Amino acid sequence: MPNQSGNVYGLTILSPIIHGAAGDISHDCAIRDYLAGLPRDHRSLFAKVSSTHLARLVVMDDVVFVGTPAREEHLQSKYLVFETNFDGDLDTYLERMAREAPEEVHAVWQHCVGYPGVKDPAAFAAYMKKCQIETTYFFADVNNKTVQQTLRALKLQSGVAHFIEANQGKSASEIQTAFRQFLEKVRHAPEPLAGEYEGHPHLPARGAGATGRTDPLAEESEGHHG
Amino acid sequence: MTNINGKTYAMNAITPMKAFYTPILQLIFFLLGHVKAGQADLINLSFIHFARWVVVKRHKFPRLSDSQPEEQLHYDYLLFFSNFNGSWNQYIDAFADVLSIGLNLIWRWSVRYPGARPVTDFKRYIALVQFDTDYYYVAYPRAAANDVKAAFRVNDALEDFARASKDMTPAEFGGAYLKFVTQVQGDLGATGIGPVGA
Repeated sequence: MPNQSGNVYGLTILSPIIHGAAGDISHDCAIRDYLAGLPRDHRSLFAKVSSTHLARLVVMDDVVFVGTPAREEHLQSKYLVFETNFDGDLDTYLERMAREAPEEVHAVWQHCVGYPGVKDPAAFAAYMKKCQIETTYFFADVNNKTVQQTLRALKLQSGVAHFIEANQGKSASEIQTAFRQFLEKVRHAPEPLAGEYEGHPHLPARGAGATGRTDPLAEESEGHHG
Repeated sequence: MTNINGKTYAMNAITPMKAFYTPILQLIFFLLGHVKAGQADLINLSFIHFARWVVVKRHKFPRLSDSQPEEQLHYDYLLFFSNFNGSWNQYIDAFADVLSIGLNLIWRWSVRYPGARPVTDFKRYIALVQFDTDYYYVAYPRAAANDVKAAFRVNDALEDFARASKDMTPAEFGGAYLKFVTQVQGDLGATGIGPVGA
């Protein structure tokens, strides 16, 4: 199926946007206005729907005129393009959107034609599927790992780098003891947050090692701010 | 407008196609999807997390209500969405250099497509048909596609080393640890914020 590559599903949705005004501004402007203020880090609606690798929302105003001799034509409606890459099956994902990010989903899709609300997640999923466009060709560079596996792998990679740096020049027996403690720390490390970016505790900090690395497996309370 | 999140750039492009070319393009994509060699260059370029091409036929734009005006289009449209690392110029240059045959196979059916080379005309065309992203989310914004693959290699190596070194003496551990460090050293680049302009 072209929508799927390995375990990753590539969903493309074109939701027609309602004509006319939503209060003082048009519906498409209202969507853009709302999206401009929406957090893009671990507080994002897609971080809540945690199986999302990458996602985008785009207001498509019109098709493009590429110049003569092409025929100039225009869309009758504007469309909200929703492009997302996620783990698992489509229905579960769409219903999770309605359940786990209802406020944000409502704030965006209330401006679209035929939107049924989020109170009934199955109805929301059915609506979204009516707007789905089948992917013709989908490429995923890594298609056999979930978001959580990827986040854990990146965190561990960072932890290994820090471990090697911190234990340079030590005796084999000291490193062996430290390595056992390191593995224990890995086992009890908190789950990494999806979408985390700004104010990240892994950023080079004052007092960090020569390469600027801090211990990524350390307790992260200072970095998990809401 | 927010095309960039961390190290990743979201590109959207739309190009008109004469409807009778659509089945040809669909056949090309079908073959690309079933011939592994067709994807090798994309995989080897290794700076694209995900990319997709979507053909929207002129009568298939979603219409959910009678009050929604019906689209009356002459062309089918090819939508392209990419999530890549690096700058726009780097991306287009690499695409045109490495994948020009593939690009031409895909876009030659689009109206006024100039070809992937010379790259100046190609860039002008892409700039014309590209439209900006309003909201972009990346679950691992500090990691490029290469970082993700390197991280999994380190994870696999660590698992193997942890298992193998469990009952080693300190002397044996010292030797095995050096081998482990040598094995993973090329995959330990720190992730982080991309350089300005990337």
